[in-house]
Amino acid sequence: MSVPRLVAAAMFVLPLLALLLIWQAVVHGFDVSPRVFPAVGAVFQAGLEAMQDGTLIRHIGASLGRMALGTVIGIVTAVPLGVAMGTNRAVSTFFTPLLRFFSVLAGIAWIPIATLWFGYGFGAITFVIFNAVFFVVAYNTLLGVTGIAMPLRHAAASLGATRWQMLTEVLLPGALPNIVTGVRTGLGFAWRGLIAAEMIATNVGLGYMLFVARDFYRTEVIVLGMIVIGVLWLLIDRLLLSPLERATIERWGLVRAA
Amino acid sequence: MSALAASVSPWQRLWSAYVRGTVRHPALASLVPFVPVVALWALVAQSGLFPPVFFPGPAEVVQKFGTLMANGILPAYLEDSVIRLAAGTAAGLALGIPLGLLVGLSDRAHRALWPVLLFFQAIGDIAWLPILLIWFGFGLTTMIFVIVYTVLFPVVLNTVLGVRSVPLELHRAALSLGASKVRVLWEVVLPGALPNIMTGLRNGLGFGWRALIAAEIIVGTSGIGFLMFDARRAGSVVEILLGMIVLGVLWYVVDSWVLAPIERVTGQRWGLVTRHD
Repeated sequence: MSVPRLVAAAMFVLPLLALLLIWQAVVHGFDVSPRVFPAVGAVFQAGLEAMQDGTLIRHIGASLGRMALGTVIGIVTAVPLGVAMGTNRAVSTFFTPLLRFFSVLAGIAWIPIATLWFGYGFGAITFVIFNAVFFVVAYNTLLGVTGIAMPLRHAAASLGATRWQMLTEVLLPGALPNIVTGVRTGLGFAWRGLIAAEMIATNVGLGYMLFVARDFYRTEVIVLGMIVIGVLWLLIDRLLLSPLERATIERWGLVRAA
Repeated sequence: MSALAASVSPWQRLWSAYVRGTVRHPALASLVPFVPVVALWALVAQSGLFPPVFFPGPAEVVQKFGTLMANGILPAYLEDSVIRLAAGTAAGLALGIPLGLLVGLSDRAHRALWPVLLFFQAIGDIAWLPILLIWFGFGLTTMIFVIVYTVLFPVVLNTVLGVRSVPLELHRAALSLGASKVRVLWEVVLPGALPNIMTGLRNGLGFGWRALIAAEIIVGTSGIGFLMFDARRAGSVVEILLGMIVLGVLWYVVDSWVLAPIERVTGQRWGLVTRHD
């Protein structure tokens, strides 16, 4: 790593370290009860214990597994559907309000009916994630395809593009920035839906870990879970979403590289 | 002319009549597509493909709507949910915009607070619920806190983006023309950031909305989310579907009567969108 990047990383971590110090000072200084807020050491201890007996890995694995499955099914079904609806103007004007309505509901609002249809457990949670991703991505794909300038499509058609070429070289690339925006929003909804659904409907996963700890006033486990959730989302954002956005949106000149 | 008319099928004529109608009454375009969906829903429910307990038809939902309106449960719950969302959003804006201005304008504040903001934004509102329940118990404070938290971060982060997108020359021009710092803030920075602030508000409401439902499900005292989850415990799909429809319609109303007009006004004034006359 070059020196300027090292400095930038240090500048980024420094405020977080300061926060850690303030946290410790406040808990010590005001003698905060561990039932209200844990000390830094207690959270660290809880983290070590949960790592050693493997529970933390099990919860993280369960949460990420559901998230990945629901997201993949959602994207794989939503993109073709969005493209199919977007190619014909009459079809797209018809479906736009419907998809808008359902993308408003996407995610958490489906928890009650999902748990009734699929029972408490894996099926209901994966369904909540799936539909959070599905409706938002389908709606954004539809917007993306209808937003492609008609002359572009006519030009490709009159130059003899086959339907397949039209799809892979005009429609999909043209809609890609919107699709990626949809994936980001959908994942944001899905991540919250996951945590909420796990609090209600399962016995393994990060949301469950937090909610059970609440029953026993184990604030150190709750705070540990919150930090894990925050770090995981930052990792998803930095390692998955940001590179995806860089590769698509910046290529189409919609945002300048920072 | 007659040859042309003959080549147009009745379906096409119906469609073009519909398109003309939607131009005259734009509300039609967002309502008519729901007609076949509801019809299909009624048909599937009628066919008995799924047990009626799991998949009731639209008639039952409408009937339930009638009863819940008549006995006052639905209006009361709706009021609770809307007041929570409005109070949480107002507090989120009141905290978020000044914080965003500070972080956007001051390099020192940006260096100190930006990583912290990113981290707390990543934790996400719903993960706060368990510890909030310990702090404040099952009640209004917990729910409002979650909504404020949810609305706050998109507003702060977008306000910072907006403030930083105002060209430095505009600051300098205003200052050299003798504007005070407060006036620069009020007449240059804030208006310049307004479109971004609106984006933040829209995102925040999208998330805050979901946080409200989750909080009502888990805290469970009143509200549309509670209505749905209470119905789930009783196994009444009718009420769940009713709750979902109410939520969807409510968002449509908030979107088209509150958010869209504000966006039109701010966006148009700053030339981001052109006016359609």
